[in-house]
Amino acid sequence: MNKDWFVLLVLLPPLLAFLLMVAGRRILSKRMTSLFGVLSTGISLVFSLVLLVSSLRSGVSLPDWEFTWLTLDKKPIQFGVTLQPLNVLMLVIVSLVSFLVHIYSSGYMKDDERFTVFYSYLALFTFSMLGLVISPNLLQIYIFWELVGVCSFLLVGFWYFKPEAKRAAQKAFIVTRIGDIGLFIAIAMIFAKIGSFELHDLKGAIEAGKLSSGMITLFAILIFIGAVGKSGQFPLHTWLPDAMEGPTPVSALIHAATMVAAGVYLVANTFWLFQASSVAMDVIAYVGGFTAIFAATIGIAQTDIKRILAYSTVSQLGYMMLALGSVGYVAGVFHLMTHAFFKALLFLAAGAVIVSLHHEQDIRKMGGLWKKNKGLGWLFLIGCLSIAGIPPFSGFFSKDEILLSVYANGRYGLFIVGVIAAFLTAFYMFRLFFKVFAGSHEPKTARVPWSMTGPMIVLAILSAVAGFIQFPTHFLETWLITGGMKSLHGPESIAWIPVLAVIVSLLGISLAYLMYGVNKWDSRRVAQAVPWLHQCLVRKYYVDEMYHSLIVLPLKGFGWLLQVWDRYVIDGLVQLCGWISMRVGKIGSTLQNGQAQTYALISVVSFVILIVSLLAGRLFG
Amino acid sequence: MNITSYLALAAILFSIGLYGVITKRNAVMVLFSIELMLNAVNINLVAFAKYGIFPSISGQVFSLFSIAIAAAEAAVGIAILIALYRNKGTVEADKYNSMKG
Amino acid sequence: MTWSQWLPTLITFSPLLGVLVIWMTPREKATLHRMMGIWATIPPLVLAWIMYSQFDSTYVGMQMKQAITWIQVATFWKISYSMGVDGLSMPLVFLTGLISTLAAVASFLIRERTKQYYSLFLLLEVGMLGVFLANNLFLFFIFFEITLVAAFFLVGIWGYFDKEKAANQFLLYNGLGSGFMLLAMIALFRLTGTLDYLEVQMWMQSKASPVSPTLLWIIFISLLVAFAIKLPIFPFHTWMLRMHVEAPTPIVMIHSGILLKMGAYGLLRFGVGWFGAYMKEIAYILIALGLINILYGAVLAFVQKELKRVLAYSSISHMGILLLGIASLTTIGLQGAIFQAVSHGLISALMFFIVGSLYERTKTTELDRLGGLARSMPVLSGILMVAGLALLGLPGLSGFISEFLAFLGLFQVHPEWAAVGSIGLVLAAVYTLRAVLKTTFGPIKDQWMGLEDIQIKEWLPMFILVGFIALIGVYPKLLEESIQVTLYQMVSKIGG
Repeated sequence: MNKDWFVLLVLLPPLLAFLLMVAGRRILSKRMTSLFGVLSTGISLVFSLVLLVSSLRSGVSLPDWEFTWLTLDKKPIQFGVTLQPLNVLMLVIVSLVSFLVHIYSSGYMKDDERFTVFYSYLALFTFSMLGLVISPNLLQIYIFWELVGVCSFLLVGFWYFKPEAKRAAQKAFIVTRIGDIGLFIAIAMIFAKIGSFELHDLKGAIEAGKLSSGMITLFAILIFIGAVGKSGQFPLHTWLPDAMEGPTPVSALIHAATMVAAGVYLVANTFWLFQASSVAMDVIAYVGGFTAIFAATIGIAQTDIKRILAYSTVSQLGYMMLALGSVGYVAGVFHLMTHAFFKALLFLAAGAVIVSLHHEQDIRKMGGLWKKNKGLGWLFLIGCLSIAGIPPFSGFFSKDEILLSVYANGRYGLFIVGVIAAFLTAFYMFRLFFKVFAGSHEPKTARVPWSMTGPMIVLAILSAVAGFIQFPTHFLETWLITGGMKSLHGPESIAWIPVLAVIVSLLGISLAYLMYGVNKWDSRRVAQAVPWLHQCLVRKYYVDEMYHSLIVLPLKGFGWLLQVWDRYVIDGLVQLCGWISMRVGKIGSTLQNGQAQTYALISVVSFVILIVSLLAGRLFG
Repeated sequence: MNITSYLALAAILFSIGLYGVITKRNAVMVLFSIELMLNAVNINLVAFAKYGIFPSISGQVFSLFSIAIAAAEAAVGIAILIALYRNKGTVEADKYNSMKG
Repeated sequence: MTWSQWLPTLITFSPLLGVLVIWMTPREKATLHRMMGIWATIPPLVLAWIMYSQFDSTYVGMQMKQAITWIQVATFWKISYSMGVDGLSMPLVFLTGLISTLAAVASFLIRERTKQYYSLFLLLEVGMLGVFLANNLFLFFIFFEITLVAAFFLVGIWGYFDKEKAANQFLLYNGLGSGFMLLAMIALFRLTGTLDYLEVQMWMQSKASPVSPTLLWIIFISLLVAFAIKLPIFPFHTWMLRMHVEAPTPIVMIHSGILLKMGAYGLLRFGVGWFGAYMKEIAYILIALGLINILYGAVLAFVQKELKRVLAYSSISHMGILLLGIASLTTIGLQGAIFQAVSHGLISALMFFIVGSLYERTKTTELDRLGGLARSMPVLSGILMVAGLALLGLPGLSGFISEFLAFLGLFQVHPEWAAVGSIGLVLAAVYTLRAVLKTTFGPIKDQWMGLEDIQIKEWLPMFILVGFIALIGVYPKLLEESIQVTLYQMVSKIGG
């Protein structure tokens, strides 16, 4: 059976919804808009589930489909669809989370006057993200890659009148753009080398040994730079926390579950390229590991509920990169999936907390919400337990797989880093939980509508049970690597690693409980004991400041310098040329007295002199 | 007849015209002098057409052309002069110095 | 003889019909002139469309060619009136038709001396169409000069504050370029006895009579300088900054949309087409100049305090990308250069139209005084955002495909330089977003609260431009098919 058009059914509804909303910006009511949005992503979800089922059933990749978009140098450049298990999995994750966020947004954004605009951006994002995950070639990936980036930019800057939102949007776009240029260079160089953008051609070229190992490493690292930008890895992580200026559903959809995971997806999708270069694998593993612990430490000291979650996202993405760098292909993708569920849940729950506390985001001013809204508390708790890696929640299984593959890969240093990061994660997540829900506060709360609670419940269920697709049967692994990559079988499990992980997480949780749950240990005293460290963490290791003074200011200064040069030297030279001609002309013009007869006399005299001198030359010469 | 005498006449006429163009203050006189110079040229043309090394009719034709053009030129010149007179109230050639640099 | 032979001539001179009609109208009927002016730009557009539909994209060389001997000196020297179209000029002809029509619509901003304005405007269009459709250098030169003179008066009379200076500088600078072109033309004519594109090209290939290479180098460099000034290439760019700031909106649309592209066209037609081998020898210099243009323009655009100046410097930066595409001398790079010419023509016309509409309302384009306009003018801000995204090369819009191809071409030959140039893409995002966000985002100032959003006569042309930008971005085949064959032939002639 031909499934080609099925993919279009997944892709097109959000695009149509986008066009419809842009065209009918003025006439669509909020109810209609949200209906269209939910319906379109719902259709996408249904058909991606159909694709999932058929992919599971057939056990092999579905037929691909392509058409020629452009001809370059007599080579056809194609657009198409590929449906490997990884693509199908991403398709389901994206359409599912997007569907839930569409529902959620109808409650969260109901008072916003640019409701339709918001939904149209969301629809465009969904379309682009779906397009990204089914792309069979690098050019198509890059196109959708940029499109999701711009949607993220538009949505971060959705509340355009806020100066912070404006700054954050600009930063989000530019910092990710820096990464994108890496990807751009990689794509262009790959095309220049092998004359194709197709991933399978690249794969074929590598397998045939057409590329030198230096080239492969270069390509892999350039592609990874793109992933670093998108997935907020160090040193391009700074945009992601700032992106929390956008509406919370956006943070859940784009900056937690889908787009930021695109970097991880990209690396996973071109995993054979990375595997061909051990240097590239090392780079991924170390960058990922460093990011995981780096962001986790910053997360400890932040006070904005969304920023804590953002840093935790950065840290978890680092985890996934660490897994991929340690040949833990399945572990990385598995964590990507579980993270999409529990982090989306956490963000949506955080949004609900923000709504119920009348748009308060500072956790220092929160507390005691448990008594007011137990349901929300439970949902949040499930998310926290999942991310902290407590069995049987999904985060436990995926994190265990990651640690296992890191250990099995022989990266013991990074293994320890991973364990510490797990401890820190558990600690700051429960710090957040206790700060918000525990305590004797009696906050005034607003009601959380059902449209918001419903999606959270779905995500909570998924966060709780999603781990079991890989345990105890390794179902996910079997499916994911049907495409052929035999080398990607996960290592044999080692019993003490999950035990260690759970112990460490429990330690983190108990520490958080002691410090923030029952206030037995005063956190301020800890901060005062090492004030420089605390300050350093609050200011996020001064990375932003460093960029500002090392890159932005010099660029500005250089710009002003060039401005002076352009205005006074280049233009000055031009003006000088003009001025000199003018002066010469002025001098010449004083000779003109306006007396035509004088001119005639001078001409005659000169003529006579000329003739005479010519004759004289004849006579005497 | 020798060509020399024609040429001498033409030269004298031309010189008188040239003198007039350069020295006369009245612009009308300047125009007349230009006519003299043109006619000197016409005499030359006709003379060469008759007694030149390659006598041919085209010299006479040319001179007729030039007489016609001279007539047109005189008309235009006088017209410009009248316009100038209306504008500046004088026909003194050295008062026309608005092209001074 | 087929009727399509007459198409190039018809297209070129069809705006003159409008000039005749406008001359017959009384001087003070501005509205009538406006209507006439807009209608008069329709025939070339329609004819250009017909030409596109008649265009045979598999045919090598000039199509719909018409040649009539015009001036003949002895038997050897001959100049003919010859017009024709090939893959290189086809997109630009259509672009000219389109942007002229939209600029004519945008000319509602002109309120004084409309009769002369529209006459000159249409004359300018004749010149531009002629430049792209001429089939020998002599005709090219004549049409080139027509655009110069017409643009000079249009800027000098209807410009903003410092208009005379801008117009003067424009004329002098471009006159200098024309001088070089004239020099090259005379020398070539002396050598070859023809100025026909194809004949000169064949002569260059065969070099039947021995010619000193120095002389050819001088001719080549003269042509290069002539078009470098037009493009403009650093350090010949200062004239166009003034022009961009002082010229009236419709003229600046045409100027940055088409007139600059005549420089690119000249470089492609004469530089690559005639002197391909010479071009190859100095490719390094061209690449270096292209990189300087990109980075210099980008850094300067970043620190400008005025919207038009940002756009002016961004044009320099984008023309640098175009130059890189040309300098790569690969099919893809040249394709990218043509794409960039068309795409930047559309985008910058759109941008300047938006800025013109903005200026009509705010009477300022100082970035520090603007801000938050998205609140009072959502439609204008939305289009400005789209235009900005197109300018910085967002996929799905035409800016991406052109920049991508230009860089891809360079990556095939000099990846290291291309990688340096890609920094310009980051900088493009930096300065474009800075300008766009400073204008539309942030808290709105009280004085802008009451501004009225754009009306149909403004947004309709803008939407048409956006439509074309998106069309080329989504379906580049539309543009690519007609230019392929010409480019293959061009590149194959470059040789070693």
